[in-house]
Amino acid sequence: MEPEEDRFDKAVILLNAKLLGIVLGFLSGTALFLATNFLVLKGGPHTGAHLSLLASFFPGYRVTFFGSIIGFCYGFLVGFLIGTVLGAVYNKIARA
Amino acid sequence: MRVRVEFDSASLSGRMPVQQNSAAPQFLLAFAPLHRSALGIASGIVSGGLVSAATLALVIQGGYPEPNLGLLAQFFWGYSVSWRGVLVGFVWGWAAGFILGWGFAVVRNAVVWVWLTLIRSRAEMERYSDFLDHL
Repeated sequence: MEPEEDRFDKAVILLNAKLLGIVLGFLSGTALFLATNFLVLKGGPHTGAHLSLLASFFPGYRVTFFGSIIGFCYGFLVGFLIGTVLGAVYNKIARA
Repeated sequence: MRVRVEFDSASLSGRMPVQQNSAAPQFLLAFAPLHRSALGIASGIVSGGLVSAATLALVIQGGYPEPNLGLLAQFFWGYSVSWRGVLVGFVWGWAAGFILGWGFAVVRNAVVWVWLTLIRSRAEMERYSDFLDHL
């Protein structure tokens, strides 16, 4: 068995990839949801002229309330993928 | 910089009861450092993949509205929304992601190290605060 001190010296944190994915998913989904609704509530002549460019990547997304729900789903999906891949790659390298 | 997590191994092994000794994995979980290179490489792959995938989506669609990802050329030299840009974007995205991930791990490890050092200093101060009373 490995000595206690060696275990502490070599120790690194491993990440829970799925949990990281869910957390990042909720964060990015909520950020897009809030950003969209902020612009919707703010109103004006060119509502969300820049944010609506996301429709190039997220088909169906618009700067409307319904679009913010679609945006949440896309944001969650992208955040989940980012978190899962990040966690999985990190764990693989850290364990090596 | 290698941030080491140091514990009094004597207090964790022989002298303590068995059920208290099982706290070691929890200490590891709480205070062990992040692997800097691993987080850098993982962040690099993710951000490089994102820039690459986003560029690819625009290239395949064609006729994309302005302004678009081409603005990244302000920071990523040689980048453009093109097939070549998919590759260049991946390299730049990887580099930026690596620096961010590696930097995050360094700062996080340093903060944990400072925090642990403070806790240990306070514990030692409390332990020896009544030193003069015993003379």
